[in-house]
Amino acid sequence: MSRADSTVATDAAGVTRAEWVSPLPEQLAAESARTWESGSHAPAVPEELRPSESASPGERISALHRRHLLRERRAQEFVADTMNARTGLPIADNARVVRFIGGLLSQERVLVVAVILANALAATAGLLVPRLLGELVDSTVADVEAGRVDAALAGANSAALVVAGLVVVQSAFTFAAKMSSTVLGQSVLATAREYVVRAILRLPLSRVESASSGDLVTRVTRDVGTMSESVRWALPEAIIASITVVLTLVAMVSNSPILSLPSIVLMALALFQVRRYLGRAPKGYLTEGGTYSRINTTLTETVEGARTVEALGLTGHRLHRGDDDIEVSGQAERYTMTLRNLLFAVMDVAFSLPRVLVLLLGAIGYAQGWATLGQITTAILYTEALWGPFDMLVHTVDRVQVGIASTTRLLGIATVPPDREAGDGRPAGPELVGTDLRYAYRTGHDVLHGIDLDLSTGERLAIVGPSGSGKSTLGRLLSGIHGPRTGSVTVGGVELTSLPLDQLRTEVALVTQEHHVFIGSVRDNVVLAREGSTDDEVREALRAVDALDWVERLPEGLDTKLGSGHQVLTPGRAQQIALARLILADPHTIVLDEATSLIDPRTARHLEGSMNALLTGRTVVAIAHRLHTAHDADRIAVVIGGRVAELGSHDELVDQDGEYAALWRAWTS
Amino acid sequence: MRDFPPQIRAYTDRGAEAPDTRSPRAFLWWMVRQNGVLFWAGLLAALVWMVPQTVGPWMVGKAIDTGIVAGDPAATMQWVLALAVVTLFGACSGIIFHTIIVREWLIALYGTTKLVTRKALQLGHVLTRRTPTGEVLSVSGSDGDQFGALMEISTRAISQLAAYLVVAAIVLGTSVRMGVLVLVSAPLLVVLGTPLLRPMQRWQGVERSRNSELTSMATDIVGGLRILRGIGGEETFGGNYAGQSQRVRQSGVSAGRWLAAVESVGVLLSGGFVVALMWLGTREVAQGQLTVGQLVSFLGYGLFLIQPMRTFVEFAQKWTRSVVSARKAVAVLSQRPPWVHPDEPAVLDTSAEIVDGESGATIRPGILTMVVSAVPDDSAALADRIGRYLHSDEGALVSDEIPEELKGRAARRERSARTRAREEQARRDEERARQPWGVTVGGIDLSRVELDDVRRHILVSDTSPQVFAGSLRSAVDPLGRLTREQAELALHTAAADDVFDALPGGWQGELEERGRGLSGGQRQRLVLMRALAADPDVLVLVEPTSAVDAHTEARIAGRLGAHRAGRTTVVMTASPLLLHHADEVILLEGGVATAHGRHADLLADSPAYRSVVVRGGDAGPSVLSHLAEESR
Repeated sequence: MSRADSTVATDAAGVTRAEWVSPLPEQLAAESARTWESGSHAPAVPEELRPSESASPGERISALHRRHLLRERRAQEFVADTMNARTGLPIADNARVVRFIGGLLSQERVLVVAVILANALAATAGLLVPRLLGELVDSTVADVEAGRVDAALAGANSAALVVAGLVVVQSAFTFAAKMSSTVLGQSVLATAREYVVRAILRLPLSRVESASSGDLVTRVTRDVGTMSESVRWALPEAIIASITVVLTLVAMVSNSPILSLPSIVLMALALFQVRRYLGRAPKGYLTEGGTYSRINTTLTETVEGARTVEALGLTGHRLHRGDDDIEVSGQAERYTMTLRNLLFAVMDVAFSLPRVLVLLLGAIGYAQGWATLGQITTAILYTEALWGPFDMLVHTVDRVQVGIASTTRLLGIATVPPDREAGDGRPAGPELVGTDLRYAYRTGHDVLHGIDLDLSTGERLAIVGPSGSGKSTLGRLLSGIHGPRTGSVTVGGVELTSLPLDQLRTEVALVTQEHHVFIGSVRDNVVLAREGSTDDEVREALRAVDALDWVERLPEGLDTKLGSGHQVLTPGRAQQIALARLILADPHTIVLDEATSLIDPRTARHLEGSMNALLTGRTVVAIAHRLHTAHDADRIAVVIGGRVAELGSHDELVDQDGEYAALWRAWTS
Repeated sequence: MRDFPPQIRAYTDRGAEAPDTRSPRAFLWWMVRQNGVLFWAGLLAALVWMVPQTVGPWMVGKAIDTGIVAGDPAATMQWVLALAVVTLFGACSGIIFHTIIVREWLIALYGTTKLVTRKALQLGHVLTRRTPTGEVLSVSGSDGDQFGALMEISTRAISQLAAYLVVAAIVLGTSVRMGVLVLVSAPLLVVLGTPLLRPMQRWQGVERSRNSELTSMATDIVGGLRILRGIGGEETFGGNYAGQSQRVRQSGVSAGRWLAAVESVGVLLSGGFVVALMWLGTREVAQGQLTVGQLVSFLGYGLFLIQPMRTFVEFAQKWTRSVVSARKAVAVLSQRPPWVHPDEPAVLDTSAEIVDGESGATIRPGILTMVVSAVPDDSAALADRIGRYLHSDEGALVSDEIPEELKGRAARRERSARTRAREEQARRDEERARQPWGVTVGGIDLSRVELDDVRRHILVSDTSPQVFAGSLRSAVDPLGRLTREQAELALHTAAADDVFDALPGGWQGELEERGRGLSGGQRQRLVLMRALAADPDVLVLVEPTSAVDAHTEARIAGRLGAHRAGRTTVVMTASPLLLHHADEVILLEGGVATAHGRHADLLADSPAYRSVVVRGGDAGPSVLSHLAEESR
């Protein structure tokens, strides 16, 4: 390793490029020089997307068209980017989603029938009203012409009674329809999201340990949100709207086929534009949703990191970043706005013009004697009634499409194949033996190069080594998280990765990230290690780590809710909870990774007793980065570059005068 | 006319207009005023949009009476053409209305986000001490959206009110009885419809808050997935999630029940109105007081008027929700920074001694000082004081969310208690910020220096620093001021080679949000690299290597002194590997400096120091120590 000359280090700014010798290793320095300049400083929103100030109307329209196409391309790129599985977990295909939703709906067959029936009846009752109004007009006109005032008045009374009855029926069925569709939407949604969470909880151990959680977090927040809106609101409304549209058309035709022509023809013409819209809108809305979660992420970082922003003087920088996100989001909004405007241009005409045409046709029909005033009245009322449901249909279908896209990402989680198959062998004893261990995260790049290690029962082995030396990987192999590429890790003669997960957990536990306190009761937080344990066993585990006293003093004892948004624990108490879990899990071998913060320096000294309780009588592998941990171990393995460079007790290694001895001298001098 | 995204200068530019946060309603009014001419343009478009619907039925009636029934094709054509013109006119204005409303909505939404961003930046670390992050974020997201919705619904409600009055006037001009019916029915329907809104909104609120708890639970499961898959607990937490998911479903169904009731009562009431209109109209036709065409047009109005009535109910609903949202926004935006600008700002002389009154510690300029404390919180508090940060334990978070069980008076009482707690908190902070601070640099108390000046010269890197998403280069060099040489030096000193290696693309490699994907040790060295690269006159590092392994820590320790040569550096630590390289070490006991000197001398002379440094203290007890002792 080349070292920086201290005089160079102190006034780096004054050093010219010619005499600069990078302190970094050669390969790193080359990479640094190659990647320092980013090449392009593209603005968040390209110049072409900003409208020019002065131009003729013709130029403006063609510029708007160009911008619209550019925005369309950006939306396509965004969707292509988020919808591929490059970043993490796989994505299911649309067919699978349709099958999945179909399956859920078929479980609720009775409800589906109820929704359809109630809606059909409510719509029919509603559609009979204009028909009766039309007939009333005709009969009144006939009565008045014939001078039968009393009959006309009686007709008005009886028609009013009938319509009033219909209104009551419609109102009752509306209630039933809305109610049943809510129940259906909510229950399909609940089943779907519970399925997704179960799938997450089945993800293979090796996948969970090696992958970053970012992708998964986005899926359980943003994608579940989009799916919810779609299933809870858009899907039922789409069903209702399509039933209403179909029935309205039927009612129109049965009133007068000719007078229904304007609506049907114009609606058919509008469908071309609707199809265009539906082909593009989902991508637009997905992009829009993406820009909003980006805004949210940036703001979260700014608020949570407020102190860092203040300390480093990043106010202007963060402000700029937030404003850029909003600019980008604004462009996505402009795209969907234009899409909608193009749709409205056609739809508004297609749904308001029929009224004019019906009146015209009606006038002709009345003159020629094939249409009555009542039919004209009814036809006009129907043309007005068609607009609402059709508009609703278009806007719920696009939401459903967006929901399907999100659901493909959610169902993708369930398609991850398992990483192991449980065999039949059961360990004959607690001895852990690793032979010829090699492992690669990327093919061809082994991080371990043939490690042999056997642990005798009750032994304490410390693994030390610089970061990147492979000691954490070794820990994962020894605890059965990953299977080795070559070689084997066995416990009592049986391969670790061939044990069922429940069994594995009682043999070896890897202790990482232990400060995580789950949202749930104290009991839940401890019992997770051995589900089905009694309260007494939980209390016993808490007592063993000296945590029972304060747990019992909590407002609701074991039932007190912990975790984000509830009772907050100090880091020390959180770690006691973590230790109690392990006491309850009771594995005979424990792999401790100090680097992943089981030992928070702020609290560690209060935990000696608790730790003691956990480790007594177990075999312990400690991946140590504090040297006194190593000092106290029975044996120390110094891992460097994926190999065991030194192995022996503290005294032996100090005598060997190698890597460990040098470090120890630095520590104690 | 204003367009989105809006330009917002409040809170960051001195003297820029700030929103009116005296009350929620004042804030909403300020929001509306922000739109200026745009609001009136939107209203005009909405009014034009209403024209075909208001005069359409009347024209249809005229066409029937003077054209169709009278058998006059010319009159029919005349009215049909008039209707066609009005209809197309309305269709076009629909697009204009939509465009303007989207603008107004987004100005409100983006404007709110920008205000929250600026407020957060203005308050800095003070905000996160007072208000839960989630609540700050929801003001920017869902509350901002609510303000957008309010712009839309108020424009629509006003234009439909106008349409409603015009229709009432048209009907009144033909038949007094029916005109009165139209005039009376709308207020009556709104009055009858609104009582159902209250339970519906309550359940919707319950559903929202249960759902956000559900989302937290899902995020929590993902966050702790390593434990759940490693140690177990899939059944417990899968079950808990399912339980909460069912509670969300139940509240959703309850909200849906009231929504269904609102809808069905709406159908009933508006249907009743149509029946009354029809009955009265037919009778008047029978008695010869009304023509057929007029009856047809009235029936058209009957169906049309359902729309304004629904809009009024919707307005009532969204208005209530907007006031709630505005209250939340005001709770965030009305907070003021506790700091005051000193009357005569003194200049910070960083080449002088720093003296902390509370601990009695003296930091000599230009050297590497390390502070050892048996209680790490004491040294962290010292770091906060040197950097002029309000200590994080002084104020507890005050949430604005109140438990769902509380209703009516109890809820109001709880809410005003929270408001008082917030005020109390603000008062305490202001009091603390205005007193002499207790840390002097060259004899000048920090309270006499502009805060910006303190931040510029003294950098405190605390124990929970934020790593921002972006390229590695932007993480190390956010302001784009570094040369590559400087960056490489910082990378070298922080021994962050493996961070560089871990990201494909070197300096241009992308970090995930909060540096997720890096290990704790990698993140810590990234932060150290960033602090070194910022190159402040005074650098205070709090436990900069607590998650770093001994090998790497030894490397950092060897390089730190040379990197910072000639400038003041303070490191809070108890690691012998670091202390070994300190120019001076200060020992804190009970928060008070009791000894100082070189590491080797203190080790030899001070038993208290020895007990902290050699075993325990910051480094923690050896996990194996006791057992090792027992077994020997």
